[in-house]
Amino acid sequence: MTVTEERAPVRSRSRILPAPVTGQELVLIGVIAVIWAVLAFRTPAFLTAGSIQPLLVATAPIALIGVGMTIVIITGGIDVSVGGAIMVCSVLTAKQLVAGLSAPVAVLLAVVVGGVLGLVNGLLIAYGRVHAIIITFGTANLFLFLGLQLFGSRTVNGIPATFEIFGRGDEGRTLGIPHAFAITVLITALAWWYLRHTAGGRHFYAIGGDAHAARLAGVRVQRRVLLAYLLTGLLVGLGSCFVIAQGTSTLDQSVGTGKELAVIAAVVIGGTSIMGGRGSVLGTLLGALLVQSVTSGVTQLGWSSQLSDLFVGVFIVVAVGTDLLRARTRRTR
Amino acid sequence: MTTTSAPPTKTPDDTTQEGLGARALRVLLTQRIALLAVLIVVVVVWFFVLDAGGYLTASYNFDYMSASLINAVPLAMLGLAELLVILSGRGGIDLSVGAIVSLSGMVFGFAYGEWGWPLWLAIVVTALSGALLGAVNGFLVAYVGFPALIATLATFYAYKSLAIVINDQSPISTPPIQQLFSITRSVELPLFGQYVPDVPLGLFTFLLPTVVVVWVLLARTTYGRRLYGIGTNDVAARWAGLPVRGTRFKAYTYAGLISGFVAVVTVAQFASARPDAGVSGNGMALPAITIAVLGGVAITGGIGRVAGVVLATLLIVWLNAGILLAFVGNEGSQYQLLALGAVLVFAALLNGLTTRRYGGTT
Repeated sequence: MTVTEERAPVRSRSRILPAPVTGQELVLIGVIAVIWAVLAFRTPAFLTAGSIQPLLVATAPIALIGVGMTIVIITGGIDVSVGGAIMVCSVLTAKQLVAGLSAPVAVLLAVVVGGVLGLVNGLLIAYGRVHAIIITFGTANLFLFLGLQLFGSRTVNGIPATFEIFGRGDEGRTLGIPHAFAITVLITALAWWYLRHTAGGRHFYAIGGDAHAARLAGVRVQRRVLLAYLLTGLLVGLGSCFVIAQGTSTLDQSVGTGKELAVIAAVVIGGTSIMGGRGSVLGTLLGALLVQSVTSGVTQLGWSSQLSDLFVGVFIVVAVGTDLLRARTRRTR
Repeated sequence: MTTTSAPPTKTPDDTTQEGLGARALRVLLTQRIALLAVLIVVVVVWFFVLDAGGYLTASYNFDYMSASLINAVPLAMLGLAELLVILSGRGGIDLSVGAIVSLSGMVFGFAYGEWGWPLWLAIVVTALSGALLGAVNGFLVAYVGFPALIATLATFYAYKSLAIVINDQSPISTPPIQQLFSITRSVELPLFGQYVPDVPLGLFTFLLPTVVVVWVLLARTTYGRRLYGIGTNDVAARWAGLPVRGTRFKAYTYAGLISGFVAVVTVAQFASARPDAGVSGNGMALPAITIAVLGGVAITGGIGRVAGVVLATLLIVWLNAGILLAFVGNEGSQYQLLALGAVLVFAALLNGLTTRRYGGTT
């Protein structure tokens, strides 16, 4: 089956797949390069491994969860419960680490717990036939309740360095490349290939373009939608391990707060259409990198760290705005 | 929504032979107001029974219920703001109301607390600043064509950041602001006041006028009919010659205006203009959207009533008030999250079921 991504039929008929790297992604690379250049000019210490490596480590969880969120948004849905899900996964895993669990089992635990939470969302959305934003607003509260109950009004203290292979330290790098970022890039690459070159991946786009037409064309819409939220949940689990690894030995109740909006912002800045049917995980990775560059840039320039949110807002408006203008000129041409 | 692709099927003999029980069930499921009224009675009776059995840490009585209504003021007002925006259709939603409350609260803090403007002028300026911030949302959504979720996510970030940066992260709590706490006190009603509990003043100064104005706007003006029109079918409304863009733009502006008034209430409640007033923790937008959806507002637009939002607020406020008494310390606020989430998922699933079985709610 042919799923064309662009609505303008005449121009896209010659090419079924969009370009491997879209124009917006090239622009993002350019913007990141400019920001890095400005930062390097202002603070010469910026373009050193000691400054870039923490930046990549900090980008990893947002970009990783962003892969799942991209697929969810491509199907025309959204998941605002990832903040709560991160809290549940990380507090549960951190407590087990304190109890002396080994790293591989702990990762498995986090991923399974995340998967279960994603499954809850997926089942409610796919089979309850309710709008995703409503259901995930609801489950966000439920997950938050669950996470706070697990905390039990106390912080989790004395977390051992079991996850240092994902962390900022020397243990967390091979040949200077942080493991957390390398894993994120690997999963992004896999997802990029899966979404672009397999029938199953193209089905997500078909559902986002027109769910009814996709069903008539033989796509098992409900199973695909369920899978999208399940994948997000699994990645939230792995992302939570990165979050624990980046933190100190203490985990407090603010873990995960506001992360859902940060992830959605990265996806949207990366050029994925919130209306569904169009987007790429490569853009999301770049979007997350851009947001993190701005955040660390604002602190390095000595401005109030709260100012970075203003830039995130402006970037969302500019990214989506230019996309809208392009779509408009395409239509009128 | 993408997953609802099968059209609702109606069996022909659905309405002909219907027993009393089935009819009651149908009324409960299709009339959201009836369902909410029943739920409110159930919740209140339940907590009265718990109270009589001695399971609560303090007495759950009419005085307590009346005093807890102060929490209904910001909640219901923002719920009405979301009602206007969601009604306008095309995925209408406003994530930025909490950030607008924070930022215009800071404006109020400066105008009344720092510069010593008269109270009425400070309130007017605060409300106008809220309307201006809402108008930015409206411009992006209605005229540029941004999806509402994206536009208001972006402005949420921007306003939140500005509110914190504008006074270097510190709240404003000068003496005039602190004295403002008096407007949240409870008063005895005139004439028959000694027979009923004292009622929080904010209910009359802010909530009641907002409810009346929004109701008149939606039910008795041309604008209201247009809003339902563009929310139900954007294209049809355009072909019918309605000013689609202007109508949608105004919906976001009015939502900002209401958020501006909420900012005054919030500053008075905290006795301080806090830069994170509307965004701390879960923020104010999520509960407001929850209230709207619980009140029967369809997220797809065009369906929703003021009465539903008001009843949904009463349900949540009295439920939360009871939960606070049923648990000790932090547990209470955590169980409030559970209740809010469970009620929202329940209401959403119910909406879906009703749509399939009866063809929609009213």
